[in-house]
Amino acid sequence: MKKVFTEAATRLNIPAIQKWKEAGGKVVGYTCSFTPVELFYAAGILPVRLRGIDATSMEIADAYYGPFVCSFPKALLQLAGSGRYAFLDGVVISNGCDTMRRLDDCWRKMGQDMPGTAPPWFYYVDVPHKPDGHARDWYVNQIKKMMAAVEKQFHVTLTEEALGRAVRKQNNVRRLLWELEKLRQADDLKVTGAEAYAAIVAGTVMPRDDYAAHLADLIDDIRTRKADVAADRKRLFLSGSVCDDFDLISLIEESDAVVAGENVCFGVRTAEDYVEETGDPVAALAARYLSGSVCPRMLGWYRERASMHMQRIKHLKADGVILQNIRFCDLHGSENGLFERDLEKNGLPALRIEREYGPLVDRGRLKMRVDAFIEQLTSQKKSTLRGNHAT
Amino acid sequence: MRPELKEYNLDWLFAATFNVSRNLCNATPGELKAMFDYIPYVRPLLEPLLATGKPAMTFLDFFGDYYTDIVHARENNKKVVMTTFCFDPSVFHAIENLVPVTLEIGTALTSMLWKRGSSDFMDYCTEIGFSETGCSSQRGAMGAYLAGLGAKIDLVALNMGGVCDTNANAYSFAAQYLDIPYYGLDYPANLTSAEVQDYHHKDYRALIQFIQDNTGCRFDIDRLREVLEEKKKQDDLMNELEEMQRLVPNPVPGIYHVMIYAGRYIFSGKKKYTQMLREMVAIVRETAEQGRSGLKHGPERNRSFLAYIDNYSLGIAMIEWFEKKGISHVGSILSRTFAETAPYTTGVPGTSYRIDTTSLDTMIDSMADINARMPMTRTIRGPYDAPNMWLEDTISLARMYQADCCIYCGTPGCRNTWSNVKLLARDLESVGFPTHIVHADSFDTRVEAWETTQMRLEEFYKIRGLL
Repeated sequence: MKKVFTEAATRLNIPAIQKWKEAGGKVVGYTCSFTPVELFYAAGILPVRLRGIDATSMEIADAYYGPFVCSFPKALLQLAGSGRYAFLDGVVISNGCDTMRRLDDCWRKMGQDMPGTAPPWFYYVDVPHKPDGHARDWYVNQIKKMMAAVEKQFHVTLTEEALGRAVRKQNNVRRLLWELEKLRQADDLKVTGAEAYAAIVAGTVMPRDDYAAHLADLIDDIRTRKADVAADRKRLFLSGSVCDDFDLISLIEESDAVVAGENVCFGVRTAEDYVEETGDPVAALAARYLSGSVCPRMLGWYRERASMHMQRIKHLKADGVILQNIRFCDLHGSENGLFERDLEKNGLPALRIEREYGPLVDRGRLKMRVDAFIEQLTSQKKSTLRGNHAT
Repeated sequence: MRPELKEYNLDWLFAATFNVSRNLCNATPGELKAMFDYIPYVRPLLEPLLATGKPAMTFLDFFGDYYTDIVHARENNKKVVMTTFCFDPSVFHAIENLVPVTLEIGTALTSMLWKRGSSDFMDYCTEIGFSETGCSSQRGAMGAYLAGLGAKIDLVALNMGGVCDTNANAYSFAAQYLDIPYYGLDYPANLTSAEVQDYHHKDYRALIQFIQDNTGCRFDIDRLREVLEEKKKQDDLMNELEEMQRLVPNPVPGIYHVMIYAGRYIFSGKKKYTQMLREMVAIVRETAEQGRSGLKHGPERNRSFLAYIDNYSLGIAMIEWFEKKGISHVGSILSRTFAETAPYTTGVPGTSYRIDTTSLDTMIDSMADINARMPMTRTIRGPYDAPNMWLEDTISLARMYQADCCIYCGTPGCRNTWSNVKLLARDLESVGFPTHIVHADSFDTRVEAWETTQMRLEEFYKIRGLL
């Protein structure tokens, strides 16, 4: 496993960020995969996806959030309140869900109570809940407004040329990520879920050139490998709420399984997942970020999502699917219910689990359920499922 | 689900209940007393409701009409649209062959009228895959419709995306589960900018197109104008009640709030709803002239503002408890329309709506504006402390109605408010409003028994010296 990716995926203030800051660079955190990171790269700012890893308690977050909310934004607030995000020069919060958009309220309030815990700049971006027509036009305007705000706050000029360059660089990263996805589709799986996922998550915190080089290295390395890490193990697909820590994937892979792919708010989903490189870059960004309606926050687009995930699951040759949601994540919790029904209809066994975000306090319970699921898969005729993929 | 529940169609049950109840105007006090012994679970709502006199009979009458329409929708060649309480139904009433079903109304009714509320329906939703932590206000009645125990739903149309994703998610789930068309209006955080206004209007036009495409009907412009003109009258009557509510003592009975908003969510723009409001105004005016409070017994000892919604356990147990304690209920987030003519919208231009019936375009824009100012779509869309949002609304309304304290009641399924109610409570306390956060579920007493909620309310009022 590449150390640089493991480090980036398991720590917050990684050396690459420290180096960036030491060189006078600015760093902006963001909360949702619908945020067009290209505009920050174009401005010479490092966008860093906010993660709640390492939050071992919630005493600060509980002072602001109520008890009936998801532990992911609470973990973010807890870390911010503990000074772990002190390296940020700004934060972009969007309406990924009700609780996430209220992070804006809670963080601002906490900043008043505890000076130094809020970044110098907050920006709230309204992402529409539908992908086309007037909603897309709306998002084009929101991106333009955010660009203007970035220019003002960071004293930079966002030229069309710089934006075009950033789009091409990020597309290059997407192409590499899709190469990785294709390697995971092979009959002989050469990369574990933990290794692949570390590489994917690292892509949300590392500078572009650095990241692309390391990712290309990893892909080359995987191509030279011989051993099938999934031999005599079940290939699983992990789906649902945001999952940026490795405890869950490690837990799954400690059993007789390999995570062959995932849809948990990171990475690319399809071969067409690129920003158009010709024409108006802002319109292209809006189109790409809203396209596919990849998250259940895009209400009413379940069928399109299910169809897309079903294709991926088949291509990745998964024997089963683990559908997880963080407690109180109603969007994924409900969609997992529909998806479980449809997966089973298509002959793909699914396990639905609810969990808390962060340190796996319910590790024993989850391990038992994953083990039972794998046992269930093992008892089924392997050929039946693989046979389904072949058709 | 208990087998006996599967024996009845939910809409038919409600229709039958209300159609029988509306005949009670002819009953003698003795007959009523005898009847109450046979309906121990309906009594906690029916008895205080009937005590309001004429408005109660009109209320029961139009609720009977509402559910009868739903029951007979199919045989009358009408389509049934599933919608939410925050969606103003006037637009549906402007179409001949469309009948709305509002889930939260059904859930609240079962909570108020049935021994176990709608817990079986809620659990049914979980059985078929819906998140158990989803808001109970939808899960109750939704379970019945998804189980095929209510009207067959043809389409889903609502307005909660961006404001209450939990709510919109429930409707989205229902649409996917039933495999029917879905359209949700979407709301950005801001309310007053021209850009947002334009977005609201475009989104609403797309909704109309969706309805036309999926029902095969067109809007009758004259009918639409009639509905909106009626709505104007209703707004004026509600404004008059609101104005009188500023008096000390408050002449408006607490139960009126529930009747007014429940009526608005299903019968907005319909004549019978106007009639109920007229009857209420007449009664409140008389009470006010006599300098009395709207409380049934004793003097007004406290005025409480409900910063969110009410509790619908065991009839209207909370409102009855307020009555017993001498607490005037001065409204909740559900009570206000935010029409530009309302007394509480003065001085906050751009945050209210105006009904303009000049042309089809102006009427559609008016409806879009109304929908953007329904209880949640207006108040809890943006940052809680932004201008004209939850904090400012609560403080200005609490001050205007001279509230002594604020109470938050909601549901654990409300991600939106549970993500910032602690902040709201702190700020309300800091400007002088003692604030109590109720941890119960307004629609599901399994979360916290009403007796426990009551005990905690007792403690709050006592410790804070409010009674």
